[in-house]
Amino acid sequence: MTAAPISLGGPAPRQGRLHQVLTSPQGAQVTAIFVFVALWQLVTLVAPRVPGPVDVTQFLYTEITGGSHGGIVTGQFFEHFAITLQRFSLGLLIGFTAGLLVGVVIGLSGLARALLNDTVLVLLTMPAFVWAFLTTMWFGISWRAPVLTVAFTAFPFVAINVAQGARAITPELKNMSTAFEVGRTKRFRHLIVPAITGYIFAGLRFAIIVGWNGILLSEWFSGQAGVGFRTRYWFDANRYRGFVGWVIVFIVFIVVLDRLVLNRLQARAFRWRDPLQGEIDLSHQEQAGA
Amino acid sequence: MARVAIQNLSKIFPPPQKGGDPVTAIGDISFEVDGNVFVSIVGPSGCGKSTLLNILSGVETPTSGSVSVTEGSRPARLGYVFQDARLLPWRTVIDNMLYVRDDDRSETATRYLDMVGLGHTHDMFPGQLSGGMQQRVGIARAFSVEPDLLLMDEPFSHLDAITARSLRDHLQALWTATRKTVLFVTHDVVEAVQLSDRIIVLAPGGRIFDDIGIELPHPRRAADPKVATLQAEILGRFEEMQPSTVTGLESLG
Repeated sequence: MTAAPISLGGPAPRQGRLHQVLTSPQGAQVTAIFVFVALWQLVTLVAPRVPGPVDVTQFLYTEITGGSHGGIVTGQFFEHFAITLQRFSLGLLIGFTAGLLVGVVIGLSGLARALLNDTVLVLLTMPAFVWAFLTTMWFGISWRAPVLTVAFTAFPFVAINVAQGARAITPELKNMSTAFEVGRTKRFRHLIVPAITGYIFAGLRFAIIVGWNGILLSEWFSGQAGVGFRTRYWFDANRYRGFVGWVIVFIVFIVVLDRLVLNRLQARAFRWRDPLQGEIDLSHQEQAGA
Repeated sequence: MARVAIQNLSKIFPPPQKGGDPVTAIGDISFEVDGNVFVSIVGPSGCGKSTLLNILSGVETPTSGSVSVTEGSRPARLGYVFQDARLLPWRTVIDNMLYVRDDDRSETATRYLDMVGLGHTHDMFPGQLSGGMQQRVGIARAFSVEPDLLLMDEPFSHLDAITARSLRDHLQALWTATRKTVLFVTHDVVEAVQLSDRIIVLAPGGRIFDDIGIELPHPRRAADPKVATLQAEILGRFEEMQPSTVTGLESLG
């Protein structure tokens, strides 16, 4: 680690501070975004059919605020986004709940593991587009196809992770609970759920990513509304800026969800790992000093 | 006032490898414990001490013989202290205490936490406590279920000597105040003499080697000359037993 110049009283030299900001993790993240946009712009110079960042930003602006885009009516951004979000949440809820239950059962019972483990593995290897096709064949063009595509793609990722977590619960804590005759409900709440929380988050992260891919495909094939439908709409209309714009919406949504929601939930769930850090550090320092 | 009755108890484990001999962890032992006494079960590693506790707690079933733990005419309520604290790392100290209780009455739990001098750790997580403090929570937890019989499996063996000594004092204070029936497994004769009213010595092969009564008032201090004299005397008896202990080990192998 390069030490910043120590200054007593006066402000640090300007260059040093800029250097500090740029080399901080946040600085590096922002830099990565700028580098990406710059590369993208460069690519458009070589390949003119690729819409550039300015083009795409303009498109997204009209798509969000409304207006005409070469004769096509825009401004339905939130409508489509809300529809997709509804389907996605419902599908994820179904897939996650089923995955959690099946995962706990597989993790805790050897018989259930023998019975279900291979099935879950098979589901895990099924690409999202297979579910998108199958559900469209089953239900035709309806909201069920995207919802179930999300549920089916999300389920095995949650199940396999949760099962791993449940298997990893130490026998010492299980024996302790048995010895003290702790009831099932209490055990589930205070032993099993917290022990598998990390695995639940890992499973949920994967589930969200594959499920979000699944819904794009499903709406692409069978939707009459939604983000996937709108992406295809612009693709079919030969407007690549629209296509790329919607793909970016997709990516931004996932990143925001991961950073703002999942990361915070996870930090809250793992308070016990380093609670009141300051206090502990202080006591260590006192001991070291004594 | 729990009553423990063990009759012709044996536990034989299947051979660890194919073609090997079955392992006798406990070989036909009988004894009784009645009333508010502190009983230690002492012996070298592999003489079936932990197996005995596991059978008493119902984690393992005996190969033959019978075990009964009763309180009057009903089955006794048991409390446990393990070699390590076995606390839920993701729950606070008080929630760990309440985890093993049938009700959510935190007053009782808090009272026992105060008795081991850890009232201030109420809302802390186990990871914030030292190993010795965690084990004290484990002891308080076991007492707080107000058991008829308390089973303790080498609870101080993972701690350093100074911490272990201080925890023995905490345990004695708690025991003197509550007078539970205790079965205390240890390999440390010195510890057993300081804490117990009676010491049952097991030998390899799971036989009872000796059954020693100790009549000194509680609480006992480790530095008390009377305790020290008795410790020396019993250690001496152990050394006399040593040759046959070694023979016992060979016959096991």
